Amino acid sequence: MADQKDLDAFVTQVTRPDDFEEFWERILAGLAEIPLEPRIAPETMRSNADVDVSRVYYRSLDGIEISGWYCVPTQGDGPFPAVIRFPGYKGEPGMRRDWGRKEVVSLTVAVRGKLGSNADFNPGYPGLLTHGIEGRDTYGYKGVISDCVRGIDFLLSRPEVDPQRIFASGSSQGGGLTLITSALRPEIKGGVAGYPFLCCYPESMRMLRSYPYDELSCYARANPDRVEGMLETLRYYDAVNFAPGIKCPMVVGIALEDEVCPPGTSYAAYQALTGPKELWLFPYSGHGNAHEYPAKETAWLEQQISKSQTGGSNG
Amino acid sequence: MAERRTDVDAMWDSLDRQLEQIPLDLEQERDAFYSQSDYDVYQLHYTGLDGYRLFSWLSVPLSANGPVPALLRMPDYGSVHDIVYTPLRAAAVVMNPTHRGQRHSDAQFQAEYPGLLTEGIDRLQTFVMMRVFADALRAVDVLLAQPLAQVGPVALTGQGLGGALSLFTAARRPRITSVAADTPLALGHPEVLDHELSYPLDELNDYLQVYPHRREAILASTAPLDPLAAAPKVQVPVLLSLGSRDRGLCPLPIGEQLAARLPDCDLRVYDGGSEGGGHPHSVVREAWLRERMGLD
Repeated sequence: MADQKDLDAFVTQVTRPDDFEEFWERILAGLAEIPLEPRIAPETMRSNADVDVSRVYYRSLDGIEISGWYCVPTQGDGPFPAVIRFPGYKGEPGMRRDWGRKEVVSLTVAVRGKLGSNADFNPGYPGLLTHGIEGRDTYGYKGVISDCVRGIDFLLSRPEVDPQRIFASGSSQGGGLTLITSALRPEIKGGVAGYPFLCCYPESMRMLRSYPYDELSCYARANPDRVEGMLETLRYYDAVNFAPGIKCPMVVGIALEDEVCPPGTSYAAYQALTGPKELWLFPYSGHGNAHEYPAKETAWLEQQISKSQTGGSNG
Repeated sequence: MAERRTDVDAMWDSLDRQLEQIPLDLEQERDAFYSQSDYDVYQLHYTGLDGYRLFSWLSVPLSANGPVPALLRMPDYGSVHDIVYTPLRAAAVVMNPTHRGQRHSDAQFQAEYPGLLTEGIDRLQTFVMMRVFADALRAVDVLLAQPLAQVGPVALTGQGLGGALSLFTAARRPRITSVAADTPLALGHPEVLDHELSYPLDELNDYLQVYPHRREAILASTAPLDPLAAAPKVQVPVLLSLGSRDRGLCPLPIGEQLAARLPDCDLRVYDGGSEGGGHPHSVVREAWLRERMGLD
């Protein structure tokens, strides 16, 4: 099991490209030009007395339509605070009806490749981590991150959402995307990144023989002449390089027995944070399975929401 | 004493006879990208009930010489089943089969999440989960028929739906030698609707909210999948993990009933939810499987 000494001893070789900010500013500027075209399809079967559940859709990079689960409280007076949740690497994002009962809007984003968002982009699982990795502009995660960014635009388009009280969370890939999106969108006022993936790629692929990081090792073995290019691409997508740009309060949760996202790599992301931050260590837990984590995450977000100020309506 | 045959047994017997009539049409292809220095990875495609084409990952250790222990990891309730990644892959054949509707097995039917659990649930004949369980049986048949490695003892493992599929399959396939089931999905248990539920079991309540008059139909369609019904027929050692606060997969009172009905059950109850023990149990499970598979 890793301990604090191991975490402190971990030093990443990841460095930030000189044109990192320009690269992402260019992507954000391009995204702003794409009409959002939001759609909402009510899901009667999933709704109840406390929560109206809908499947929502919006446009993202390359005009791809992205879907998500959207839960709106039926009780209370809006505009409501909102929690956006980013998905893990495999599987489908679930809806968070429990937030509705707390008078909080919830959006869970099915990034491109997930069910409901895979008509025009479907790299498969495994596969996403190396899709288009030959170049920073062709990498699949350029779209995935854009889809998260556009999720914020969707929330901002909704009159029932208080634009001053948007928070973020996610685990594993969702943890990495929480860090990255929080750096790109200052509208996020706080976040919880659990067991974050997408951190310290060079070290992660060397330390592990488990997926998804092992996809990178498989790619390197199959394409030895492209390893340098792959690592160069990944510098633009490493959550460690986004962390200094996050200004809102951020929690990083680390399981010290994590065999999917090495604890030291998540800790490197935590160390790179320059804003208010909190570290949660789970000594006897593996990836994504600290039994106390879900309640802790919800409690922290509730606390941030209650501390936040009402900023008025979008409408 | 002879075991009493039930209508459910007769139905599964009939379904097994249907499976026997369908050629496997097994295709296997080595996956050079994911194969490693100590094991080869294959992609398998084969035919299941109703002619559906199904997919499985299979890894074969390069050290294999003669019969090799096998571990079959049944799929969780979700759209994706992992590529093989257990450390046991270096010494055992490992198979990760998908069921219909999951990625790679979705040419004829794409499962929705939430949604799969109640797809066609108002009638047994249309209930997709019945076919999902049949796909699990088919996976064992494929494992035993594939020509890539000679298979020795066969262990089954899985979490949630995978746990239920493991128990159910062990009850119907005598080649299985051990089962490690985590928080097996309690779909079909008559008391499940009486518990406060979370997803995926809460899909049943979503359905009943729209179709309240179909409660009896739900109970009838899901009854053949009740892990408690299969439990007495599981004549091999079972390692069973439960979470004390699990509401989505196997609520503790049902899990304890299940353990009592399994003839040879090593029950581990953990403080927590549907993760069923998380990392501490994964250590227990791997050691337990190694011992049962003769890998120590």
